[in-house]
Amino acid sequence: MKEEIHRLNCYVENKPGVLARIVGLISGRGYNIQTLSVGPTEDGTVSRMKIDVVGDDKVIRQIILQLNNQVNVIEVTSRRRA
Amino acid sequence: MKKQTTQQATGAQTLVDSLAKAGTEVLFGYPGGSVLDIFNCLPEAPFQFILGRHEQGCVHMADGYARAKGKPGVCLVTSGPGATNTITGLATAHMDGVPIVCITGQVPMDQIGTDAFQEADMTGICRAVTKHSFLVQSADEIPETVAEAFYIATHGKPGPVVIDIPKNVQRAFTSAQYPERVSLRAYHPESTASSSQMARFAKLVNEAKRPVIYAGGGVIASGAAKDVANLAHRAQIPVATTLMGLGAFDENDPLALRLAGMHGSAAANYAINESDLIIALGVRFSDRVTGKLAAYAKRAKIIHVDCDPASIGKNVPVNLGIVADVKDVLTTVNSRIKSAEHAAWLAKIAEWMKRRPVTYKPMHPNVIMPQAVIEAVDKVTKGRAVIVTDVGQHQMWSAQFFRHNLPRHFLSSGGMGTMGFGIPAAIGAAIARPDHTTVAICGDGGAQMTFEELVVAVEHKLPVTFIVINNACLGMVRQWQELFYGKRYSGSILSVRGRMANERLEQDLKYDYLPDLTKLAEAHGADAYRVIDPAKLDATIRKAINSGRTSFVEVIVEPRANVYPMQPGGQPVEGMIFE
Ligand SMILES: Cc1ncc(C[n+]2csc(CCOP(=O)(O)OP(=O)(O)O)c2C)c(N)n1
Ligand SMILES: [Mg+2]
Repeated sequence: MKEEIHRLNCYVENKPGVLARIVGLISGRGYNIQTLSVGPTEDGTVSRMKIDVVGDDKVIRQIILQLNNQVNVIEVTSRRRA
Repeated sequence: MKKQTTQQATGAQTLVDSLAKAGTEVLFGYPGGSVLDIFNCLPEAPFQFILGRHEQGCVHMADGYARAKGKPGVCLVTSGPGATNTITGLATAHMDGVPIVCITGQVPMDQIGTDAFQEADMTGICRAVTKHSFLVQSADEIPETVAEAFYIATHGKPGPVVIDIPKNVQRAFTSAQYPERVSLRAYHPESTASSSQMARFAKLVNEAKRPVIYAGGGVIASGAAKDVANLAHRAQIPVATTLMGLGAFDENDPLALRLAGMHGSAAANYAINESDLIIALGVRFSDRVTGKLAAYAKRAKIIHVDCDPASIGKNVPVNLGIVADVKDVLTTVNSRIKSAEHAAWLAKIAEWMKRRPVTYKPMHPNVIMPQAVIEAVDKVTKGRAVIVTDVGQHQMWSAQFFRHNLPRHFLSSGGMGTMGFGIPAAIGAAIARPDHTTVAICGDGGAQMTFEELVVAVEHKLPVTFIVINNACLGMVRQWQELFYGKRYSGSILSVRGRMANERLEQDLKYDYLPDLTKLAEAHGADAYRVIDPAKLDATIRKAINSGRTSFVEVIVEPRANVYPMQPGGQPVEGMIFE
């Protein structure tokens, strides 16, 4: 399968340790994060993480499922980056 | 620190009250500076406290308790080295989906990040080996955090949860109360099958010619063993199990294929290989089971039911993936399954069972075969004991030679393969199920990793029989070296005889079995027996188990025995070797 850059949009509870948890989950499995940005949303209790990762569809799907299993993750969406 | 008013309690007292409210009946733990305030509240706690002798042992006890009881195990340790000592135990529970709530002390908040005495970043260290962790920053958060931790540990795929509590938080006052209910904003693991999924499930089963049920630990966690039997019997479907699934289906049943995978039965692996429909229930298609992925179950459609969405399609592509509780799904689906005979398929399987039974040959008339030890225990306990194993050859023989027939009666570290699990986990299991006989089966290597916990069984007069299958080697490693590394037994021999030259030991025949495990068990206060003579095996095991006392049986066995059949890692089923 083809390796491509995927942009994950991850909405998470704004709590201590969440960033480390998300980043650890991706990097701990050997996937390289290309860019990462974290910012607030209008709802101050929710942060939005934009994560670019390289991988084939299967890998990305697995990462999304694992992210969704996290207790502090509200929603994850993804799209291929052109 | 807030000033105390009448309704207020310390964080430590609030923690103990919250643990009780969460249903804690037993707390396994080990004290230290950062949890002294909590320990100070324990003598009046409404639950029992069990003092382990090493924090890894405490977590394995909580783990064995949880596996045997189906309720979370709870433990309490201090900061720094106490916390880091729990990591192997947490990882073991995490891999096998065992619910544990582990409280760790932490240095006071104003010292966090200063390299304070016994400071370790526990939430950081444990991240990859727990389902979740909390760092509690105020005493007011304690009741809610405990409630959430128990909820997370037990909902969705179960797992261990750490609550790290700084010492100043334990000493602060709060009037926070235990919540009526838990609602987590972002975690809603419950998921059910749609009616179209159920319909497809039934249709696939009803159309299959060579179906196989492949049952794992998820069946036991969901309490679905009866429903699996019901499905199997309705349509005469044979059942293979994973290591974690042993006990999910009665192996005395003619439909039982028994263990699948690396050391599984030929019938189980051949059946999966030739099947046209695999009904995978509460499994995760671990590499120990699938062998070479590209060759795995090529002829089969696969239905996969599991509570963990991430496990579906992870290793093996599936035709129908259902994220739901196994029991919920089967309760609905079973009534739609048409009765079937599958006579030709079952005849073929019976032929494999006859041609390739799970068996072994004696190697020397005066030397006990390790497999015979398992058979003796099975006979003496009539297959009703709770069996707890360590990790290695003896674990695989336990999987193969017991006739597993009850859920939660075979407790073993499957995913992590943690040596040292057996002794403490058996203690936890015996505390969880005082009405049952508990037998631990350990190797001489693994037993030495957590031997210190034996004294806990003695102190509490637990009727556990600890059996050490002593082959004077790290047998499973020795086996791989024999088969795949040209018989170079580097690092795997425990007797002085036979060690590699670079260990620079004098080959002194006096020291073949060091330490003297029987004496060591005696020193811990257990009734200890050593058996060498095959003729005395059954009687000694019977005496130990029937004594109802904490007993220890060291059985000196044939050191050259190997675990067969074996489908070496990454090989297809054709690569199975039998001797
Ligand atoms: C903590 C840990 N260290 C190392 C291993 C690797 N390992 C797997 S089986 C085994 C040998 C176990 O020896 P023993 O306990 O005597 O059991 P036997 O195989 O001889 O029955 C080893 C070293 C492990 N599984 N766990
Ligand atoms: Mg051994």
